[in-house]
Amino acid sequence: MLKADVEVDRRDFTVRAVIEVAPGERLALFGPSGAGKTTLLETIAGLVQPRTGTVELAGRTLTRTATPRVAVPPWQRGIGLLRQDPGLFPHLSVRDNLAYARSAVGRRELTSLADALGIGELLSAMPARLSGGQQHRAALARLLLARCDALLLDEPYSGLDGVLRRTLTGLVVRLVTERGVPAVLVAHELADAQAFASRMAVIDRGVVLQLGDPDEIVLRPVSARVAELVGYLGFAAVPGRPDLVAGIHPDRILAAADPERGLVLTGTVAASRPAGASWEVDLQLADSVVTCRLAERPGSAGSQLTVTAVEPPLFGSGDAPVDPVAAATQQETARQEIRP
Amino acid sequence: MRSLSGAASIVGAAVIWIALLWPVITLLTHLSGSAIASSLRYPGALDPLITSLESGGVTLVVLFAICTPLAYMLARGTLPLPRVWEAGVLCSLLLPPLVIGLLLVFMVGPFTPFGELIGHFNLSATNTFLALVIAEVYESAPYYVVGAQAAFASVDPRLEQQAALLGDRPRRVFRRVTLPLASPGLAMALAVAWARAMGAFGAVIVIAYHPYGLPLQIWTTLQETGLASALPFALVLLVVALPLPLAAYVWSARAQGRRRG
Repeated sequence: MLKADVEVDRRDFTVRAVIEVAPGERLALFGPSGAGKTTLLETIAGLVQPRTGTVELAGRTLTRTATPRVAVPPWQRGIGLLRQDPGLFPHLSVRDNLAYARSAVGRRELTSLADALGIGELLSAMPARLSGGQQHRAALARLLLARCDALLLDEPYSGLDGVLRRTLTGLVVRLVTERGVPAVLVAHELADAQAFASRMAVIDRGVVLQLGDPDEIVLRPVSARVAELVGYLGFAAVPGRPDLVAGIHPDRILAAADPERGLVLTGTVAASRPAGASWEVDLQLADSVVTCRLAERPGSAGSQLTVTAVEPPLFGSGDAPVDPVAAATQQETARQEIRP
Repeated sequence: MRSLSGAASIVGAAVIWIALLWPVITLLTHLSGSAIASSLRYPGALDPLITSLESGGVTLVVLFAICTPLAYMLARGTLPLPRVWEAGVLCSLLLPPLVIGLLLVFMVGPFTPFGELIGHFNLSATNTFLALVIAEVYESAPYYVVGAQAAFASVDPRLEQQAALLGDRPRRVFRRVTLPLASPGLAMALAVAWARAMGAFGAVIVIAYHPYGLPLQIWTTLQETGLASALPFALVLLVVALPLPLAAYVWSARAQGRRRG
């Protein structure tokens, strides 16, 4: 079990987070750039000291700011960190990189892992000869041979193309599950977090806004800010409930009025543009603009359009932060109410 | 048209290159075998060479031991007020060698606290081998620090972090990652320092007139017997000072090549 309960000062705000990751569990820290996600990882790894708090791994205290003070240095933590830059040592061959942490590693163990990761042929090459994907495989193999007790991933594959990214993410998921180590991924792309995580924490300006199942967070964000972060583009007024607004996700739209399924929105087309295989429409409502994606090209600008937002999450229309539990109950009640 | 401008740029580069090499070419064209032989066959003629090699070698060891940690800390910015530290190094780089010599008299001369301290051990820092090494260290240290700082700055600190996370203590990280990665640059910095130490003259003539190293040998021969007999020693200086920088250059180029695989 990896536990962290820390407060870390940054230049512009303080990162406050409590996370727990069970062996074999995969937690994604999702949030915009500069939200403090990497700071949190570096605190767990021992590269950054928190102002207050504790970090524990497998029953061992790694950091404690209260007396008796504990600050286990990074080289005694047994925590592996993968960054976007694979960080292979350029002066060592791939084999020497893999065996860096354990020079006594068995030849068999090394080559079988390298084969499993598809870099068996490259062991005597220098890292500069490897492609980006191969370098990441080698970096992963190096961490696994180092026998770390926890795996931290700081957007390791965000620079790679989609197919390679999915392959490598799948590989990490499999290995983490096999070896039963807790893993934490930092991501600013929702799809990356969803592909990796069994649990997700949404972080903004150093604060965990919501923690839970990734799909649940996307469908039921607890606050308007979380909704914005997970891709809701615009909010619509809820008829008969001036105290509430509904979050509108562009991909959760039916191109017809279907009050059974959610909130029916009628407005005029403000603008439309092709977005991949679908059409993205800015829909002007009475007092707001929402964006939705439709399978078919809508009428020209100014024409009327009626769509249904499927089971939209509801939020207090004021700026006051919404208490997660109360918000969930409130949403459920309101959802019943807006159904005719 | 394009090939014409290409040819013109090659010719231009060649002119500048030859102009830079001209002193060396002049040296070689003005030497005759018999003049070299007669100059160098003089009894004790090669003693200054030995003195220069020994003092240069000691200087390099001292620089490496003392200035390498400083250069590393400068490169990593771990010192408070890093700009102030760097400005200090640049100040010492700007001091003319002759001025360094004058100031060394005030620092380590026989009537200074340092001079009196080492006097208790029957040592002196004027006109001794120790004085020669001190003068060479002061003349070459800033060049080594600046070069070594650049060499360490070229090592990505995240590689050092990675090595630490893989279980290495800082000392071991330095030995296994930082030093090997910085070594081509360090070798070049040492080579520059060596050339400076070999040619050290300004500070040396003030504080360490004896024992003669090669630069002073050239100077006194020039004063006493003229240009023709001084030139062979200039060749010796060149021949002695050059191999180390050349070796460092070749070695660092090969190290870079190996990394490219």
